[in-house]
Amino acid sequence: MAALKSRTRRYRVSKRLAPYLFLAPFALLFIAFLIAPMVYAFTLAIYKTTVVGGTRFVGAENFVRALSDPKFWQGVTVLLQFALIQIPGMVAVALLIALILDSGTVYAKSFFRVSLFLPYAVPAVIATLIWGYLYGPAFGPFTQLANLLGLPPPNFLTPGMMLPSIANIANWEYTGYQMIIYYAALQAIPADLEEAASMDGASSLIYALKVKLPLIVPMVVVTIIFSIIGSLQLFSEPYLLHNLSPTVINNAYTPNYYAYTLAFTNQQYNYSAAVSFVLGGVTAVISYAFMLIVNRGGRT
Amino acid sequence: MTIVGKSKRSPTFRRNRWMLSAILAVIWLYTALPLFYVLVSATKSNNDLFTTFGLWFSDDFRLFENIGQVFSYQDGIFSRWLLNTIVYATVAGIGAALFSTMAGYALAKYDFRGKRLIFAIILGAVMIPQTALVVPLFLLMSKVGMVNTPWAVILPSLVYPPGVFLMRVYADDAIPNELIDAGRVDGAGEFHIFSALTLRLLMPGFATVLILSFVATWNNYFLPLVVLSSAEYFPVTVGLAQWYATATVGSGGGAALFTLVLAGALISIVPVIIAFIVMQRFWQGGLGAGGVKA
Amino acid sequence: MAVIELRNIRKSFGAIDIIGGLDLHIEDGEFVVFVGPSGSGKSTLLRLVAGLEEATSGQILIDGEDVTELGPADRSLSMVFQSYALYPHKTVRANMAFGLEVARTPKAEIERRVQAAAASLRLEPYLNRKPKELSGGQRQRVAIGRAIVRDPVAFLFDEPLSNLDAALRAEMRIEIAKLHQRLSATMIYVTHDQVEAMTLADKIVVLKDGEIQQIGSPIDLYEKPTNLFVAQFLGSPKMNVFDAEAAAGGLRIAGSGHLDLASVPADVAKLGVRPENIGITAAGQGNLDGKVDVVERLGSDTYAYVALADGALVTARMAGNVRLAVGETVSLQFDRNEVHLFDGAGKAIAL
Repeated sequence: MAALKSRTRRYRVSKRLAPYLFLAPFALLFIAFLIAPMVYAFTLAIYKTTVVGGTRFVGAENFVRALSDPKFWQGVTVLLQFALIQIPGMVAVALLIALILDSGTVYAKSFFRVSLFLPYAVPAVIATLIWGYLYGPAFGPFTQLANLLGLPPPNFLTPGMMLPSIANIANWEYTGYQMIIYYAALQAIPADLEEAASMDGASSLIYALKVKLPLIVPMVVVTIIFSIIGSLQLFSEPYLLHNLSPTVINNAYTPNYYAYTLAFTNQQYNYSAAVSFVLGGVTAVISYAFMLIVNRGGRT
Repeated sequence: MTIVGKSKRSPTFRRNRWMLSAILAVIWLYTALPLFYVLVSATKSNNDLFTTFGLWFSDDFRLFENIGQVFSYQDGIFSRWLLNTIVYATVAGIGAALFSTMAGYALAKYDFRGKRLIFAIILGAVMIPQTALVVPLFLLMSKVGMVNTPWAVILPSLVYPPGVFLMRVYADDAIPNELIDAGRVDGAGEFHIFSALTLRLLMPGFATVLILSFVATWNNYFLPLVVLSSAEYFPVTVGLAQWYATATVGSGGGAALFTLVLAGALISIVPVIIAFIVMQRFWQGGLGAGGVKA
Repeated sequence: MAVIELRNIRKSFGAIDIIGGLDLHIEDGEFVVFVGPSGSGKSTLLRLVAGLEEATSGQILIDGEDVTELGPADRSLSMVFQSYALYPHKTVRANMAFGLEVARTPKAEIERRVQAAAASLRLEPYLNRKPKELSGGQRQRVAIGRAIVRDPVAFLFDEPLSNLDAALRAEMRIEIAKLHQRLSATMIYVTHDQVEAMTLADKIVVLKDGEIQQIGSPIDLYEKPTNLFVAQFLGSPKMNVFDAEAAAGGLRIAGSGHLDLASVPADVAKLGVRPENIGITAAGQGNLDGKVDVVERLGSDTYAYVALADGALVTARMAGNVRLAVGETVSLQFDRNEVHLFDGAGKAIAL
């Protein structure tokens, strides 16, 4: 027994201390690069710096100003329209692909699964500039095709078409990613459910619609929420297309772009921070509302 | 499992297979279109870009000249950009994966005070879009003089909350508690247990987070755009976007940039695509764990 | 209900035969049990009947109709799975109704059948619950209910009780037996548990490596096994098997023992005796001597494990509480009328 006691005295990280040590690297970086900026942004937002008055505490003034800023709300409206156009199409196509791949009934399943996911590897910036060229009136292939057929060249960048065009870029990029997530969820469904359904007389289609889809609905809802959050942060695409179509896209086209402009073009850091915060708040409200709607719908 | 009627012999199966494969092929064409376009355009001369059909090659195959131009333009700044991107993405990828794995492991396999709170905070952080933090981050970093350095890009990219979430779920699933207990009974210390016993079980999840954060850092545009001002530190995203902006706005001199931009785009997406294809075994396993829990 | 027939059924993967050229006839209303060790092909055989596996060659007939090319949905069969395979997102009622809805059965009829099945399985209080809120036994009953409502021509069970604890298993065994009595339906039941096989079956099919070893009623298989494998598979504890060779007036057993026999077949190689046919007497007075190694007293029976010279253990079962000391040298007394003889290939030699 004496020998046992001496063993426990050896240098060893205690079980109680270990989890904190494991968490430490991540936690430190997290605090430094996520919490700190947030706190700093908040302090920025409650102050105001003018050339004349210096920096003074203004409490909620910047927030109130953001909430009544027409440019801000215009941006939010653009985003909501964008989300409505982009998300349903993307989710539907991603589900379709995932179901087709999961059914195991296609040729070259692996090839499709990997290649349809590849757009996710392309930076948004590069995807935007490629599509910018594709859309382009100068040498875009669609314009060329139209000229060949004697039709007027399609203009993807008119005020009416701008959002669908951007939505198209986002869809191109992220459908594969959603598809992979849905596919993984479908693969997790036990195989004998399909056998039981087969004994029950269900065809593959009925099984897909009545069993597989309902079972992955929770996952789909989660991805939709993340997509909503993502679309409310739209920045890169409009920023890059601004030069291509400066009349349609002004530098406040989306709230994030607006915040960026405020900070770097107008040097209005305090107000910019407030705008970011209000955008965050609006995002949280919309996501939460969506979750509530879905949950209530599920209960009936 | 070869349910009768679903076997390769039955006619309905074959008809379905054709139909479904055709649907996927159409979607695939749409997916491949821009990538093919980049490939084709990168082989053309500037003139041909305007005169020949966008989606097919011209007679004048200029891919290698264009690539050469990309690397020589502006004193070869592009190779610098490419190197920067590789460094940022690799360091951030490995770091994020390692830290996320350790954090996820701690959250999954230990009971400690504040665990729930910490997890709730991290979950909340997943919801925060990175874009909201970039400007304040820039201001903070400029106060400590960290802007316009590689660290300005790398350090924030090491924080990848979705990775922690993913690794927690994965560690929960993949590591039986008995394994850890057996290690303890055998006298191993906590960290030794982690590195010698459980880490290899966590590898698929680790690889998934590695790829996801690697790609996220490689593709990141907003953060480097804001925190970097010298072209020598740019990643390819920021650099190419700058060329693109010049090409679009500019006139005579700008026109020559088009092929440059397209060839540069081709070069910058090839490595990640290759990495994806090579690593595909790994990320499928990792994503699966999350799917089960949902 | 239905007569099921399998003709020369073969199932192979590449060069390997999982099921090799098998024939089987199942009468209307029979309860047939496929039993055998892991890898014997019993589940595969069941799934071939169900249509969940496609036969490489051969025919499957239900009531004279060739269904080999038909999918599971078209064979009018129901199956109860080992893992229950209940639809997690549906209530108990919806789980049972699903097959009928797919078949476009009128709502009133669906409701009637679901109620009837739920009543017979005592599931009425749970109709609106989801599977995850139910216990293992309740889920099993829902799986059975789902099978009943479709009024199939035959029921298939794939190791349905394997995931239940011992007490529940005994309870559900009786439940299934009563189900068979009530419905008088043809039932095919797969298990590796020989107790389930012996108690439930009208007819047992013993399988090994994809081939039928023997078919018969439980008692037939128990009393007259046609080979060593069947002899040792059924009956718990297992039949004791000894090396045997012809000797003067009978058999020499395990080198040192002796059994008198009227006539000794020339090709005898093994002797089999069940534990309940072995008694313990004083050393030297029985057929084979050994030393008592372990004694298990169950109250109703006593099991004695007697070690032979080479260390092999012989199991003997005696009623009640028998006084035996560990280490005691004793003699095993075989009931001459209940021994089994086998040849070198393991085939039974008729006495």
